[in-house]
Amino acid sequence: MSLVLQGLALGVLTGGLYALLASGLSLYFGVMRVVMVAHPAFLFLAAYLTYTVHTTLGVDPFLALPVIVPLFFGLGVAVQRLLIARLAPDNLAMMSVLLTFGIALTIEGLLGTFYTGSYKSVSMEYATRSLTIGGVHLPYDKIIAFGVAALTLAVLFAVLVKSRFGQALRATIQHREAARLVGVPTERVAGYGFGVGLATAAVGGTVLALITPFFPASHWVWIGKLMAVIVVGGLGSVAGAALAAVVLGMVEGVVLVTVDATWATMMFYVFLFLTLLVRPQGFFGGRLAHRF
Amino acid sequence: MHTVSRVLPLLLAALAIAYPWAVPNYYLVYAGALTVMYAAMSTSWNLLGGFTGYVSLGHSAFFGLGAYGTGLLVVRLGVPWAVALLVSALLVTVFAVGVGIAAVRVRGASFVIVSLALVSMMNLVVQGWRSLTGGSTGLQVPSPFPGLHRGQTHIVFFYLFLALLALALLSWWYVSRSRFGAGLRAIREDEDKAESLGVPTAAYKVAAFALSALFVALAGGLYALWFGSLDPIFVFSILIASFMVLMSLLGGVRHLYGPLLGALIVAPAGEYFLIALGETQIHLTATGLVLVLVVLFMPDGILARFTRRRAGPSIPDESAGQRLQGVTR
Repeated sequence: MSLVLQGLALGVLTGGLYALLASGLSLYFGVMRVVMVAHPAFLFLAAYLTYTVHTTLGVDPFLALPVIVPLFFGLGVAVQRLLIARLAPDNLAMMSVLLTFGIALTIEGLLGTFYTGSYKSVSMEYATRSLTIGGVHLPYDKIIAFGVAALTLAVLFAVLVKSRFGQALRATIQHREAARLVGVPTERVAGYGFGVGLATAAVGGTVLALITPFFPASHWVWIGKLMAVIVVGGLGSVAGAALAAVVLGMVEGVVLVTVDATWATMMFYVFLFLTLLVRPQGFFGGRLAHRF
Repeated sequence: MHTVSRVLPLLLAALAIAYPWAVPNYYLVYAGALTVMYAAMSTSWNLLGGFTGYVSLGHSAFFGLGAYGTGLLVVRLGVPWAVALLVSALLVTVFAVGVGIAAVRVRGASFVIVSLALVSMMNLVVQGWRSLTGGSTGLQVPSPFPGLHRGQTHIVFFYLFLALLALALLSWWYVSRSRFGAGLRAIREDEDKAESLGVPTAAYKVAAFALSALFVALAGGLYALWFGSLDPIFVFSILIASFMVLMSLLGGVRHLYGPLLGALIVAPAGEYFLIALGETQIHLTATGLVLVLVVLFMPDGILARFTRRRAGPSIPDESAGQRLQGVTR
């Protein structure tokens, strides 16, 4: 029983990171109807940049954030304005996947060339101990990861709900043409939407570097997991993605401690296919997900 | 134009048959066989991607399953290789029908996600099921032609892959002239309209999915017999699937010879990169960049540049303004 509790607790903590990353994917899908396959590749790019900052300057990995986050925001705007906006609209869904797939391969190749294919990790002295509550051990690195992810998500939600930019972004997601009619510069907003999405990958990458060893090809596993999360949650629904992320994180955590790692990862795909068979639009997606 | 389309296939076939005897060394025979294998696979991919517009990034799952199916039947059950090849391809096709029923329920982006997930799942299964497949250490398959040396085996498999390519091209040609093919094209142009006109879209999509999986599985089986050792990380890699997509797109998905042309460009280029740059990961970057460039600047492929056929839907969606202009003019 305590084993299951342990799995659940770890699952919730990992689920926080999934939620942050999946919310980025939902944003891209919302503003451009684009499935951004390169999102996890950028995640690992951020993790490697964090690694570089940490090893060359010897500073805390979180000090890399003020540099990496604006950099990734700019990259996101550039990817949307220079690449994705150029695609012909009649087959955008398929072509954008191929385009971002090409970007993912490009990044993976560059990471493999510069950092080699071996495992890298960032370990901080404060992150190696763990907190014990009622027989459940919670490693501090996972707690920090969850905290940072939750904080970032909270800021993201606040921006989306409260700020003028958030309103414009949500209007663009809901109905692009109507938003343009009432004066929202949808092109620019879509670009910023991509920037915000990629900024979540930057935060996620720094956190990821702290909690787990990584190598260039590991982003494929993350693509599968995150895609499952956003389909189960309902494509385009940020809240749905966040909820599905935590649920799937818990399932993964429990299966990980009771069965093994292969089945833990497999659960994501099981849920993906079950969702598609039972409820193809996902459990929280509304009108948006209908045709995808 | 008609004489060209009659003479060209014969000329190509003659060149291909003469190829292993015209090149100076066995390495080039090997590279040729690899190229023909990719050409067969991307032509087969195009049975789904070209006709229906459903882009699958998961066809390496069928390649890997075909390879492992053939390998396991030969190694574990001692089945003769030709039987193993056909049985495993049939099993994969049946499997593809099952997957297809789930996968083609969704369109666009979700379909691509499902196809990506398929590869990762199969990779996990094969690596996890260590007692059957040998896990990540791989599977050794004995050579079907123990009497031949390595170079002669390359020649034999060059012709086997060539036969497979011919089969895939013939199927594409036959489908493109059939009612089935017309239905698939209708799905690409506008699935809802096709459905309302009475095209059995779901059945057609599943059939196209399974047919395209069949030839890829055959290629996988031949690959297993040819190479003799299977590595789950390679045969289930996204890279193989992305090669199929890249070759088809580069050549032109709406043309019979599009994927073949793409394969003739991409596969030798890949081999060249491997020699020139060594075993670094930079070849991934090269593949990725080419894919980005093709998608951005040449989504209809090279052949579309040479034929007059216009890209896009045959009945274009016009805006109200365009219609008004057309009427008032």
